[in-house]
Amino acid sequence: MLLSAAVWLQATDLFTYIRLQSYVYAAILSLHLVAISVFGGLIVLTDLRLLGWAMRGRPIADVIDQSRRLKWIGFVCAVTCGFLLFGSKAEEYYYNAFFRAKVTMFLLVGVHALIFRPIVYNRAAELDLAPQIPARAKLAAALSLLLWTGIMIMGRGIGYIDVPFGLHAGFGETLAAIANQV
Amino acid sequence: MLQIADVLNSSPLVFPVLECFHIAGFIVAIGTTAAADFRLLDWGFRRQTPAQLSKDVSPWMLGGLLVAIFSGLALYSSDPDMYYLNWSFLIKMACLVIALVFNYTIHRRVAQGVAQSVAQSAAPSEAPPVSAKIVAGVSLVLWASIIFGGIFIAFINPGL
Repeated sequence: MLLSAAVWLQATDLFTYIRLQSYVYAAILSLHLVAISVFGGLIVLTDLRLLGWAMRGRPIADVIDQSRRLKWIGFVCAVTCGFLLFGSKAEEYYYNAFFRAKVTMFLLVGVHALIFRPIVYNRAAELDLAPQIPARAKLAAALSLLLWTGIMIMGRGIGYIDVPFGLHAGFGETLAAIANQV
Repeated sequence: MLQIADVLNSSPLVFPVLECFHIAGFIVAIGTTAAADFRLLDWGFRRQTPAQLSKDVSPWMLGGLLVAIFSGLALYSSDPDMYYLNWSFLIKMACLVIALVFNYTIHRRVAQGVAQSVAQSAAPSEAPPVSAKIVAGVSLVLWASIIFGGIFIAFINPGL
């Protein structure tokens, strides 16, 4: 059912247009990366502050509260561009092991938010009052950096698989395909 | 250089791995600079002065930049002829040089200058002048154009 939805999606006028106009596709991909730079840079900044590695002179609450809105704007732009890119090659993406890994990691980001938002990100003022940055805040930051780095790597990996090579493509098969193509 | 190029072409995984370092590097560099630009545009970070913010992010900006540039040099060395003949790559390099010069001259000076005027009025939340906003806008456009230039390298027909 997912596959037929993907086939339907990429056959729509909009996504057919994006697929056939390679410069339009490239422009959307560029915007995707511009948004990621803004969004990702702010996430790195926040996580580095939670780890105590950057902006140590500023309260944690300042860094988290002030970057939240800009992060959301960057995230929405990145996801919108990402959806346009996905939709234009939805069938291919359905088979793409890197895309599947990326989606899985997004779900893990959701779990991360459910766990750490109530105890870390929404309690920034408390973190500032603690004599040292609490371990849970550092754990949240480290996991966030790991997850987003993984998403970045999987996102780059998607482009290395051009042709669908069967259902349930595993990572071994994927790496072999890369070896053949590069 | 030849040895580096040999290593690059010896394994199919080296190029994608280098690309990931390149992307991570420019995300940190451009993202942190963007934060300082958003402050100058008065879109956020009002509890810090532009000078404080740009001083806070500058080591990370530089670190990300170095990672992006050195991984970029390695990527370039894998196939120099192709890049040299690629107009998108040439535009990207031109934008990069302009952005670097702009960042470490006008951009830096404006962030510091805005800090001084803010210090005199003793109100960190005060909106920067229009000239500072223009400088921030130019900075954002320059860095974004480098990303566009990089992506389009793979999408254009080779040859000038």
